[in-house]
Amino acid sequence: MVKISDIKVGQVIKNEFSQITRELLREYAKASGDTNPIHTSDEVAIKAGLKGIIAHGLFSFGFISKLFEDFLNQEEYGKLIDIDIEMRGMVRCGDTLVTEATVTKIEGKRVFFDVKQTTFTNVDIKDKNGKILKQFEAGERGYISEKDIERKLVKTKEVDGGTLTYRERVSMPGTAIIELYN
Amino acid sequence: MDNAEIKKNADFLIKNLGGKEIPGTAKVSIRYKTLVSFAEIYGITDPKYVGPEENGIVACHAFANHFTIKALYKLLLGMKLVQDGVERPFMLNVGKLLHGGQKYDWEGCVDVKPGDKLSITAKFGKVWVIEKTMVLFSEIEVLVKNQDDELVCKPLITAAVRPGGY
Repeated sequence: MVKISDIKVGQVIKNEFSQITRELLREYAKASGDTNPIHTSDEVAIKAGLKGIIAHGLFSFGFISKLFEDFLNQEEYGKLIDIDIEMRGMVRCGDTLVTEATVTKIEGKRVFFDVKQTTFTNVDIKDKNGKILKQFEAGERGYISEKDIERKLVKTKEVDGGTLTYRERVSMPGTAIIELYN
Repeated sequence: MDNAEIKKNADFLIKNLGGKEIPGTAKVSIRYKTLVSFAEIYGITDPKYVGPEENGIVACHAFANHFTIKALYKLLLGMKLVQDGVERPFMLNVGKLLHGGQKYDWEGCVDVKPGDKLSITAKFGKVWVIEKTMVLFSEIEVLVKNQDDELVCKPLITAAVRPGGY
């Protein structure tokens, strides 16, 4: 059970999703009614200057409300009052979404959060000589921009078999409020 | 579309859209299968959201995306304006439309259930342009009520339209 006395400023709750595929976005398009083809057709998205399909903004947003539903055990312990999010970055197939909410304030039974959804986009894996061993969609389609590099969003880390190049950026910052029952 | 036309259109929309009611009401009928299909996208397995129909379920919070998009498409994209004596749609190219932000306010709201008939109305809030990129932003304040006139959700959409789309 989650009670107001258990909540502390600075406490973090988190979820992660790494199965964004074209098929899932097609299913989402059907279920949500958002049939804008930039989310389901590479051809249309490329014509619109997007280099490939992008996830619906609200698709990614859904993982934020799910984070709070799970925290509140499907509203057994309280209610979700408000989510307010700015959508800054496009999310692509193959990306990993990490959603984190940090408690910033507690007033009565209300808990206020800063919310941050970070997108991790794999580009490629290279060996020690710089030879590409594996290229991901972002590498093939050129999703990473000069601006991403200038802003130091493109990073590397050692993984099995080589060095992974990836982009890490906050795609959705914002806030949320929940109200606990106890 | 050249830069002068983009600037002219941005100025027109900033001047004419702020605070304007969007004509019409979008209606959305809620079916059990729609709620379940939507929840399953997010891997939700709790019976509160995806249980048997006879037990009664409610919509997960993310389902607000469904009626928000209905509002965006049915109301916003159908909206017509008169510019220089000529009727024009708000959106000239839907491919240039992006979602700039989203707020959902559920304060004092009731759950959405199968069989509900939702009525959605909307009006424009602030409208502005980022001069550097000429991306036009507009807030759309939405009210969603059920068949009993109970408030279901108050979404605030921030639509972002890239140059050439407005």
